[in-house]
Amino acid sequence: MAEPNKPANMKIEGRKRSIWSNLSLTWLVPIAALAVTLFIAWQSYAERGSLITIRFENAAGVVPGETTVRYRDVGIGQVESVEFTSDLSSVMVEARIDREVVHAIPSDAQFWVVRPEVSTSGITGLSTVLSGVYIEAGFEPTTEGASETRAFEGVNSAPLVKPGMEGTRIVIRAEDGSQLTAGSPIFHQGIEVGRIETPRLLDSGNGVIVDAFIEAPHDRRITTATRFWDTSGFSFNFGPGGLNLSVGSISSLIRGGVAFDTVFSGGNPVPSRYVFDLFDDEGAARDSVFSESVDNGVDLVVEFDESVRGLEAGSSVTYRGLRIGSVRGLGAFIDDTTGEQRVKLRASISIDPRTLGLEDDAQDAETIRFLAESVQNGLRARLASEGLFSQGLMIELVDMPDAAPAALGIFDTEAPVIPSVESEIPDMAATAQGLFQRVDNLPVEELMQQAISTLAAVESLAGDPDLRAVPGSVTGLLDDARGILGSEDMQALPGELNATVSELRGIVEDLRTADMVGQLVATLESASEAADTVTGVAADVEGATAELPQLISDFRALVETANNLPLEAFINQATELLNSADRLIDTDQARNLPNAVSNALNELRETLAELREGGVVENANATMASARDAAAAVEQAVRELPALSARIQALVGDAQITLQSYGDNSSFNRETVAALREVREAAEALTRLAREIERNPNSLLFGR
Amino acid sequence: MEDTGTTPGVLTAKAAGLVGCVQCGRVNPAGTTTCGRCGSQVSTRDETSLQRVWAWLFAGLVVYIPANIYPMLRTQILGQESNSTIYGGVVDLLHHGSYGVAAIVFIASIIIPVSKFIAIAYLALSINHRVKLSAHTRHKLYEVVEFIGRWSMIDVFVVAILSSLVQLDFAASINPGIAAVSFALSVSFTMLSAESFDARLIWDADGDDDHNG
Repeated sequence: MAEPNKPANMKIEGRKRSIWSNLSLTWLVPIAALAVTLFIAWQSYAERGSLITIRFENAAGVVPGETTVRYRDVGIGQVESVEFTSDLSSVMVEARIDREVVHAIPSDAQFWVVRPEVSTSGITGLSTVLSGVYIEAGFEPTTEGASETRAFEGVNSAPLVKPGMEGTRIVIRAEDGSQLTAGSPIFHQGIEVGRIETPRLLDSGNGVIVDAFIEAPHDRRITTATRFWDTSGFSFNFGPGGLNLSVGSISSLIRGGVAFDTVFSGGNPVPSRYVFDLFDDEGAARDSVFSESVDNGVDLVVEFDESVRGLEAGSSVTYRGLRIGSVRGLGAFIDDTTGEQRVKLRASISIDPRTLGLEDDAQDAETIRFLAESVQNGLRARLASEGLFSQGLMIELVDMPDAAPAALGIFDTEAPVIPSVESEIPDMAATAQGLFQRVDNLPVEELMQQAISTLAAVESLAGDPDLRAVPGSVTGLLDDARGILGSEDMQALPGELNATVSELRGIVEDLRTADMVGQLVATLESASEAADTVTGVAADVEGATAELPQLISDFRALVETANNLPLEAFINQATELLNSADRLIDTDQARNLPNAVSNALNELRETLAELREGGVVENANATMASARDAAAAVEQAVRELPALSARIQALVGDAQITLQSYGDNSSFNRETVAALREVREAAEALTRLAREIERNPNSLLFGR
Repeated sequence: MEDTGTTPGVLTAKAAGLVGCVQCGRVNPAGTTTCGRCGSQVSTRDETSLQRVWAWLFAGLVVYIPANIYPMLRTQILGQESNSTIYGGVVDLLHHGSYGVAAIVFIASIIIPVSKFIAIAYLALSINHRVKLSAHTRHKLYEVVEFIGRWSMIDVFVVAILSSLVQLDFAASINPGIAAVSFALSVSFTMLSAESFDARLIWDADGDDDHNG
């Protein structure tokens, strides 16, 4: 330096600044770092989430700190610890769940461990092979309020229905669960629309139920008219319709499966957990429309004396051909009510009240009351064959009003007893055996011998010449008969009869239509009287006519004698008169008088016939009238005859003239005779008519 | 440097009424505020040096906490994710038998940073407080701290390299965790802290020691 000895400059320092003004800006860095660190610490604490505990049967594969909890396959938390419960009965898994999510987990959330699983329905959880298992959460996030539940129950396997899935949960009831495996698909027209869960036994032990889930929107297809059937395996059916082999898909062969369809229209929507029955095959399902088993079936008992071979649980119970229930079980018991012990068979049956026309929700008591009434009216149970070729039996309820009276045994056993009657099953085997027995017993050998001898006899008889002549005689006889029948007379006979009847009918018709019955009666009466009178008169007349000539001649001679008074001459003349009178009587004319009367009657008939043929009622009327007039005239004339005789006697003077006129032209005689004939003819005709009517009154009534 | 250590009572620029430029090394007269050659600010002693040392030191300490708590590596192998902190990684390596690697990681990630914190704090405290330590030792300590600080970044480099190389999607992937950032920050802050330390203060302290002792 230039001035080595020069003292150093004075060290001058300013006033010490305060510590704050001297503060370096670098301090901002640690402050910022602290702030950031604290912020991160706070944030990580705030986002740490809440601890929940899940109880599992076992915690296979769950590793604390690694196993995640996922919801919809997104991690929402992590398992922090795995511990036993205090009694070592289960495992408590503690997991820290994101704060946003944990408040949305409802108390019914389900947690299950997702593991790799290889089943017939596929491989699931493959990613967990490498990544390890994880816990899947299934729940429907709560919307109202925050859930405070922090303890949950884990399930062993993934639930069939994840919460939040839309669809309908139903219950399927089957007789056994051999064809049902958890996860088996449910098909509808070949489309998988749902799955079934693990089957479980019914408490009663007589069936299996399984929960099933039908996804929306297919669950709309489920109605009360829906039937489910088993599609797994083969279905082999040989019936009247031929051979029926149905094979489901290979998948359903392996996995089993259930299909459903709506078998009739008009079903109602079903509520959740509605119970359906599972049928063995589609045909059974479709046939089951009227034969479904029922929930509120009425249990009844039928007791049989006879063998129930062929009857089994599930056999039909029919009423008038309609299936109304089924046999639920068979058993035997000892009946000692009659004193001696007898084994009876008892079938318990279940009847659907709906099929009897009762209400769907009819109470048992109501149904039993109905049945009791029916039994009183003759309802009986009996065994019946299911079909011609079937050995199976069914129970048939029949109305037998004439059956022995019985009542529904309500208090006899655990269920009301329907009285039974002897069945009418034709025992095919027994019948066939009996038939063969009868055939065996037939005297076939004797029959053959007899037949042979009979044939021999017939042969010899046929060989007889007399027998050979028989046909000729028969032919002649037939010819004769034919000739008789073929004769004109014979053929005309019906015609004549017809004609006669027609005539008669015509007359009767005329008479009836002319209202002439009264007249006829009157006419008949008068005619009868007239006939009587005429008969008498005729006798008188006959006598008179026999005596008249003599009398007349006597009178004439008397008159002449009186006039001439030559007495001897008078006596001679009288004698001659008498002789001549004798001759007169002896003459053919006098002898022919009856014949003449007969002829006159014939004429009268002809006249009547003519009149009849005229067909006019007036004619008949007139005829009757004239006949009556004639009768009246005859009557009058006959009445006048005695007077005439008296007058003749009285008028001796006129007697000769009268006698001469009588004797000369005998017009009086002719008139009288004609009149008599007419009257008699009429009377006869009427008599015949009356007889005809009497003989055949129908002709009058029916005109035939 | 060696001479300064071996020659007690050496004349300093301050004592000689000069001020040296730390950038170009030119010695300027006392009172000069701007270096006559390079134009940078010069001062006899940096008044705020200790403040900045403490500030950076605190910042490094603050971020060193999360660096050890949070995972350094997030490793996903076949869908299985594992997080490992620094200490956890060392333990894992030891369990796997990689003692060498474990030792390296342990030294680089834990021993060195912690030692640095202690060393810087000691140096800063030793300026204002009298300590039984020779000036030469303090200078050696300072130089070691300044030299070794950058090697703490080895852990961060490993994470960075792994993260960029091992990205095999599902099979394996490695991502840095929060701790990686924190640790890198911590190392940076301690380096800055060591850098902020004005070594000339040691001379003053030495001078005081000599003068008083």
